[in-house]
Amino acid sequence: MAYCCYSNFSSTLAPLRLRPPPRRKSIAAANPASVSLSDPFVLDIADKLEDSVSTSSSSSFSLLQKLRDSSSQSLLSQRWPSPKDELYRFTDTSFLKSSQILPASPPSIISPSLSSPASNIITLVDGHVVPALSRIPSLPAGAFAGSAADIPPGALYEHLMAAAGELFHNEDLFWNLNGFGAPDLAVVYIPDGERMIDEPLHLRFCAVDAAEAGSGRLPLSNPRVLVVVGKQAELAIVEEHLGVESGEGNSYWSNSVVEIVVEEGGKVSHSYVQKQSVNAAHIKWTLVRQEKRSSYELVEISTGGKLSRHNLHVQQLGPDTTTELSAFHVAQGDQIQDLHSKLVLDHPRGYSRQLHKCIVSHSTGHVVFDGNIKVNRFAQQTDAGQLTRTLLLAPRATANVKPNLQIIADDVKCSHGAAISDLEEEQLFYFQARGIDMKTARDALVFSFGSEILARIPFESYRKSISNQVKELLTTS
Amino acid sequence: MTARLCFSSLTSLPNPPSISSSSSSTRVHPNSISFKLPSRFRYRNADRRRSYQIAATLTVDSQTSGEKTLDTDRPRVLLEVKDLTAIVAESRQEILRGVNLTINEGEVHAIMGKNGSGKSTFSKVLVGHPDYEVTGGTVSFKGEDLLNMEPETRSHAGLFMSFQTPVEIPGVSNMDFLLMACNARREKRGEPTLSPIEFFGFLSPKLAAVNMNPRFLDRNVNEGFSGGEKKRNEILQLAVLEAELAILDEIDSGLDVDALQDVAKAVNGLLTPRNSILMITHYQRLLDYIKPNYVHIMEAGAIVRTGDFSLAKQLEKEGYRAISSA
Repeated sequence: MAYCCYSNFSSTLAPLRLRPPPRRKSIAAANPASVSLSDPFVLDIADKLEDSVSTSSSSSFSLLQKLRDSSSQSLLSQRWPSPKDELYRFTDTSFLKSSQILPASPPSIISPSLSSPASNIITLVDGHVVPALSRIPSLPAGAFAGSAADIPPGALYEHLMAAAGELFHNEDLFWNLNGFGAPDLAVVYIPDGERMIDEPLHLRFCAVDAAEAGSGRLPLSNPRVLVVVGKQAELAIVEEHLGVESGEGNSYWSNSVVEIVVEEGGKVSHSYVQKQSVNAAHIKWTLVRQEKRSSYELVEISTGGKLSRHNLHVQQLGPDTTTELSAFHVAQGDQIQDLHSKLVLDHPRGYSRQLHKCIVSHSTGHVVFDGNIKVNRFAQQTDAGQLTRTLLLAPRATANVKPNLQIIADDVKCSHGAAISDLEEEQLFYFQARGIDMKTARDALVFSFGSEILARIPFESYRKSISNQVKELLTTS
Repeated sequence: MTARLCFSSLTSLPNPPSISSSSSSTRVHPNSISFKLPSRFRYRNADRRRSYQIAATLTVDSQTSGEKTLDTDRPRVLLEVKDLTAIVAESRQEILRGVNLTINEGEVHAIMGKNGSGKSTFSKVLVGHPDYEVTGGTVSFKGEDLLNMEPETRSHAGLFMSFQTPVEIPGVSNMDFLLMACNARREKRGEPTLSPIEFFGFLSPKLAAVNMNPRFLDRNVNEGFSGGEKKRNEILQLAVLEAELAILDEIDSGLDVDALQDVAKAVNGLLTPRNSILMITHYQRLLDYIKPNYVHIMEAGAIVRTGDFSLAKQLEKEGYRAISSA
């Protein structure tokens, strides 16, 4: 069932560009069988979201409305995932299911603690773009970054309106919950040939409405971002997810979606930092569409959340693309860190590298990795590599990893590998033999395991602060 | 006891001073021995001291002349191994079957032996490698029981082993590693730890001494190093830790002649009258560059012969078969 959805999804997306969508709504609506699958739990959330969005946004501007329409169609046919679904086989979502899920209330007072030293920043508070906490001094001419409500009428607006149905479509429950419940839509647009790479654009997702842990309540926010990078244009993004004023371990559910379109010859460098509260649920979609000769690089550092699931889908839309995906996950006590990535190659000469590393430092910690790379019939001379490495540092710590390549083309170079281990005795002994005690040695080795990924964060100030945060996390555990 | 006596009868030298029949007798060397070896010793020591003063990076306690030290004070015993037996922890296979060895300060020893004779195991047991378990015998280092110490404590005490195949440690830079090691030692000795900048000042002459480019410091420990680079890196660590006894486990393996000369030169540069070396090697070639005072032949987990440099030559010529059957 789940697999079915997926192949369907990729084939409909394959020819996608920023151009008018084919009719899909009618297909979904015309399928009575799917409607009968409605899940009461999902319907209940949808009901509450509907109330909250209709009260919070005054007159819905049409781009957001399109998103809602597109999502509501799919949402009704979807049910809550169970361990029987391949995509959720190892990821226990019962934490969400057993909570009382309430839409996050709109932000009232903007606290100064939300400010950030970043020079280019867009802040989303519980899904709302907050202009007072956003500034983009180095935005290139003709570019746009802000709430979709503020997009001036003109070419960009028409462009996005035309492409919206195509962009927003996906057959996933959480994706559609987001689309249906998103109170705002943040849009970043870099026109053809423009660059914004010296100072990255910081996209800050703050969760403010939170409930005390153990209260059973779970405020849900649905931040939504669309990034379009034009032909030969370049953009560097730092995406950060965090709970603000949630104290130590407040509960909330951040269900975010970031969609990125990289047009011909465009380049996107994307750093993604997830440091939510330890009692939060973080479900995140990153969907990337790459036109020919475009390049996309992702460096992901995920340490927060009780339940953290990242669905990463990269779709190749033309030949000669470059895709580099790196991820470093840390699961400590009672945390699930899950990355489901899917890279679909349909055109010749694509180059991709994926490196996934994770550490489970506690016996109740759990990491999940499902890394799918599809090399379809026309993706000849693809060069795809994938490696996942896990450190299990405690007895009963769990990792479920499934690196998988599906290759149909016959002239390709593909490799994948998986390694799961504890720290190597030989390395520990090397430290000891040089007079360094066991604890210091372990700490150094554990940190060094992730430093390979941390070193790929392209901006020094971010690299340093994130490294320090990770170091602190790993040494205190 | 019996093992030791048995061993003595096997030796070709009349009375090898480094392998003593009892600890006290080491200090009462028969005259013949003190006269037999000193000429080499004196020469070497004088030579070493000169090279040391040029380098001016290592500390030496005694500035009295080498002759005087040798003639009047007995050399201090650095390492004393008695009847050491050890097994592989996992398979319980016995590897060391009663090793006896005494090393005084300022001495250079070499252990040679066939593959599987226990040479490397011996060196690993001395530094406390967890793969092996000591089942009998004693080892004292500077008068203290070495076997009761954790590996890091052995390092702090002044024992160092250069690994035969140093492990790669991705993600930890050489600089960080050396600084960690240096400061761990300083802390143990109650000395103030060094900041990275102070440390670099301390390190620079040592880098020069082992002919290493400072760029090595930014690279991860042993990651992607060539064979020669790895060995030189081991010697750099030795220089930083200023160990009193350096066990060099096959530092000649995998090296071409030039690299071997580099490494040997670096090792010779580190020698002082106060520190000692125990080399483990298959080949005489290394001994041409780092001259040993004593050569030991190891076989089936015990030292079966002890001699001087000529033993190595004989070995090179005739092979292990001739030596062990002799």
